Amino acid sequence: MDLDRFQYLLLMALCLVVTLPLELLLGARVWARPRRLLATLAVPVAAFVVWDVIAIARHHWTYNPRYVTGWKLGNLPVEELVFFVVIPVCGLLTYEAVRRMLTEWDDVWARLRRLARR
Amino acid sequence: MEYTWASVGGVVAVVLVEVLWLRTGVFRTATFWIAYGIVVFFQVLVDGWLTKLSAPIVVYRADKFTGWRAPFDVPVEDYLFGFALVALTILIWVHLGRDRRRPAGATSTRGGTGRRPRR
Repeated sequence: MDLDRFQYLLLMALCLVVTLPLELLLGARVWARPRRLLATLAVPVAAFVVWDVIAIARHHWTYNPRYVTGWKLGNLPVEELVFFVVIPVCGLLTYEAVRRMLTEWDDVWARLRRLARR
Repeated sequence: MEYTWASVGGVVAVVLVEVLWLRTGVFRTATFWIAYGIVVFFQVLVDGWLTKLSAPIVVYRADKFTGWRAPFDVPVEDYLFGFALVALTILIWVHLGRDRRRPAGATSTRGGTGRRPRR
């Protein structure tokens, strides 16, 4: 199988894996609030899909066929749709992890100690 | 230069969403700017991989942006694009998480008091 075609998608998967400890270890509670997460994502996904579709139509950028699957929704590569979900999720996990460490450090510390004891 | 203007417009639009509409106060918090600094660091790695000229995944047309790339081969416009995307997301997230029982504007600029019930 030609893994190069999945390079963009694998990079997105890596972003999710790398940020997962923010949820599991620091208790960011982004994935834990799926309804709020979905309602939040609807806005940037809609706005940036429109931006991207226009930018592609106006030739601002193109995708190297070697590193994308070729799966498309209209003229939008599925990788781009995945990007507009994954990157906002990573941003939210970072924001919530930082917020908890700044304002709820006692909770974070207690949680880490509990996890360490298991 | 169309991408350049679009990326500037994207940032302006997101700032206007906050100032005129949501008024979460997020841009005045240390939490946001520390988190954003971390996001930019990782953006350089991910975007650097996507845009590297030796084997690009995304190819930018030369006459649609400034041509300035830093570090690696990341087009500078991508930082504005990325800010618009991540800042918009955080604004909406904080807005949706606000305690509706309190009037808008009375919420803490830190996005929570640390002891409010979780939802």
